[in-house]
Amino acid sequence: MYVAVKGGEQAIANAHRWMADRRRGDRNQPEIDVEQVREQLGLAVDRVMAEASLHDPGLAALALKQASGDLTEAVFLLRAYRTTLPRLADSVPLRTADMRVERRISATFKDVPGGQVLGPTYDYTHRLLDFMLLAEGECPAPARAEVALEACPQVLDSLDAEGLIEQEVDDGAMPYDITRDPPDFPVDRATRLQMLARGDEGYLLALGYSTQRGYGRNHPFSGEIRQGAVEVEIEVEGFDGPLCIGEIIISECQMINQFGGSREKAPQFTRGYGLAFGRNERKTMAMALVDRSLRAEELGEPVESPAQQPEFVLAHADNVEASGFVSHLKLPHYVDFQSELELLRRLRREHAARDGGGTADEVESARAHEMDAGLKDTTASAPLSAPSSELPSESSSESSSAPSSAPSAPRRSQETSA
Amino acid sequence: MNTSGQDSQYSGYNFAYLDEQTKRMIRRALLKAVAIPGYQVPFGGREMPMPYGWGTGGMQLTASILGANDVLKVIDQGADDTTNAVSIRTFFERVAHVETTTRTEAASVIQTRHRIPEKALSKGQILVYQVPIPEPLRFIEPSEEETRVMHALEEYGVMHVKLYEDIARHGHIATTYAYPVKVDERYVMDPSPIPKFDNPKLNMSDALMLFGAGREKRLYAIPPYTRVKSLDFEDHPFEIQAWDTPCELCGATDSFLDEVITDDQGGRMFVCSDTDYCQNRREEVA
Amino acid sequence: MPHAAQHDVATRELRPHDWPALDDAVHHSQRLFRQLLSAMSEPGTVHDIPVSSMPQGVALSSAAWGTLLALCDLESRLWIADELNRDGLAAAISFHTGARIVTCADEADFALVTPHSCQRMPNVSEGSDTYPDRSTTLIVVLAATGTLKSAEGFPHAPAHGPLPTRDWRLSGPGIRDSRVVALDVKAEALMQRLACNRAHFPLGLDAILTADTHLIAIPRSTQIDVVTATEEHA
Repeated sequence: MYVAVKGGEQAIANAHRWMADRRRGDRNQPEIDVEQVREQLGLAVDRVMAEASLHDPGLAALALKQASGDLTEAVFLLRAYRTTLPRLADSVPLRTADMRVERRISATFKDVPGGQVLGPTYDYTHRLLDFMLLAEGECPAPARAEVALEACPQVLDSLDAEGLIEQEVDDGAMPYDITRDPPDFPVDRATRLQMLARGDEGYLLALGYSTQRGYGRNHPFSGEIRQGAVEVEIEVEGFDGPLCIGEIIISECQMINQFGGSREKAPQFTRGYGLAFGRNERKTMAMALVDRSLRAEELGEPVESPAQQPEFVLAHADNVEASGFVSHLKLPHYVDFQSELELLRRLRREHAARDGGGTADEVESARAHEMDAGLKDTTASAPLSAPSSELPSESSSESSSAPSSAPSAPRRSQETSA
Repeated sequence: MNTSGQDSQYSGYNFAYLDEQTKRMIRRALLKAVAIPGYQVPFGGREMPMPYGWGTGGMQLTASILGANDVLKVIDQGADDTTNAVSIRTFFERVAHVETTTRTEAASVIQTRHRIPEKALSKGQILVYQVPIPEPLRFIEPSEEETRVMHALEEYGVMHVKLYEDIARHGHIATTYAYPVKVDERYVMDPSPIPKFDNPKLNMSDALMLFGAGREKRLYAIPPYTRVKSLDFEDHPFEIQAWDTPCELCGATDSFLDEVITDDQGGRMFVCSDTDYCQNRREEVA
Repeated sequence: MPHAAQHDVATRELRPHDWPALDDAVHHSQRLFRQLLSAMSEPGTVHDIPVSSMPQGVALSSAAWGTLLALCDLESRLWIADELNRDGLAAAISFHTGARIVTCADEADFALVTPHSCQRMPNVSEGSDTYPDRSTTLIVVLAATGTLKSAEGFPHAPAHGPLPTRDWRLSGPGIRDSRVVALDVKAEALMQRLACNRAHFPLGLDAILTADTHLIAIPRSTQIDVVTATEEHA
């Protein structure tokens, strides 16, 4: 006998409770503290802040803990929180030239004013598992220079004097705000940079990498990579000049890229730019590569590779959007699937009748796996369909935590459950 | 997090979650959408505490129109008890404390994914659709820049070509859901992934229909009493799905049926996708 | 302000807080919006938008004031016709909504006008082919607060005696067959302008017509025809 199952709410609650249990893990182990996450998984915290577009290490650490370390989920949590915050002020543009540098390297000059500063980095470590970390132990304090590094000039500025590199000029225009208004393509560079800055690191890395392998090659050099603390300032009515409201750590990358010049313009280096909250060096390098490749049209280069197509790159860079839409395939699609099924059966009946390849009845009783194979044809013309009869993830928890309901699709159960 | 903590999670947010400025932005866009039926109005979609693709567009619209006296119904696949419908309904119960219902006729606002209720909607009701990909031309032309111009020039020939290719290949138009419509003889519109079975209900409806695509940041509308025509050809007129059997639970022959697999021997049955409709019919019989 | 003299109260400066705020920022504006949504969805249907304690003798209608409070904020740009720009209105709008008052009508999201200003329609925006939504919405004041006999529906006769009206037949989306609205003959130029919408569609002007506490909406999708005298008496 067929019974329609009610009680989705209970199943959802049970699933969440189980998830919380999983997150906590073995109760014999001490529970991880948000402060520990913040202090000891700092690069994960930084990545979450960058992709969530919210600088708050404490909340990013909380999001990481709540998400059991799932970075994309943590980004989503922080992003959703960010949306609810009132906007009290806009900062004046950060002055990265005035950064209190803790790391600063250039691959284009052996020595630069201010010097090369390796700073804290995994570069040049030998990637051997350090079994010493299995044991608790003291970590020696870092060796630091006697004098803290003062603000040092940006390397690319040294090319400015000769006119060897294009000038970036602030046209004073109010930047578009991608968090408030929907982007209307094509978008300007400032908007592109905003979208890249919150883009998924893995995605930007792959796209940047593709340009190095010839899909829109633009001959990059790391002109300068720096990270350190910059002051955040806001204008307040009644005060002369901006007020500093605090300091944040950021990473910046300026790529120097080739440019052939044109009839009107002497050959000149061009720039790709990357900036991110926290210590996010890989992200900023990838961002700079992609920023530069998205300038192809502006610089008169042929647009022929994925990383050069702004709408393609930007519309798919946001991992909160991407993971949401991919994961929505877990939601029920019974109705659409049923629509496809009905058509497919009809087409197969007609096909059979035409070709005499089998009676309509034989086709009608075709097995499910045959339908799956056949479905691929129709989904090609209707890509939205979700030809999946797999269980939504909630169902597994539903069945175990509420053993009386069957582990079938959440809305209906089979007679075995009754 | 245990379930008792759930309610406190929602404290501190504005009525219906969105802040008033966001609601006003969406409301202004909705008025434009109603004034230009079928045109996709860009809006500054916000992150919702649900994933994109799970109804954030519909939820933002619902949050922007919902008032304390509204009665809300939420359906997914026609059913009130599917997990995502339950989740969204619970969300609005917690953030707006509105009355909810499963009865189509009792609701003033109905948020839906993939279905239009079987029972004809009435004047004053608002149906809010969750839309994944609002652009009907997207699978023919992936670039937004291009499709925007195609709409501007009313350049819809490609859509007919695509549908006709189906006919050439299969003998039928192979689009079975998200079947494109033309609104008031101007805009080609994606009615969201409702089965084409539901398309006729869009035409000259008594109710206002609002469509929200959160990830794509577009919203659009069909006012009541608006002509909505499913695209077709003279020699291949638009037709809807039909079943050989009635609903096994209520005997309805006029509703969209879900197929339910009942055993591993190929056994299956067909039942109404609209649970409220089915329930009512069974109560009437009883 | 050449037409201020037409009003019974001489021009005087009201302070922003003399103008009423919404009873409640969340629920009152939601109710007003739903009325506006309903009005826009069903062109020509009359909606009553009372706003309590409107200042006496102002040139604005309470329905227009309610519309502004419900829809405008920091992100909105508003243009105000000269004859309405009195009673401290601009300052009051900035104070209550944060909307920016602009001097070029084509930059405005909303234009606050009267039938008089529609004699020579200000240079408002109809949107573009690719973004027809980027148009100016007209908020029209046909009769100020307190100048209508409330029982007479929309808007018909001002208090100082019935003025001739003209009937307009509306049809299109939101209207099952057709709907006739009677408007003061002064609205002739406005209605003729709105009647052109259909030819420019999807570009065009959406209008919210207000009189005292009443409003109707006429979106650009509406077809507008003059009801001829013979039809009237039929």
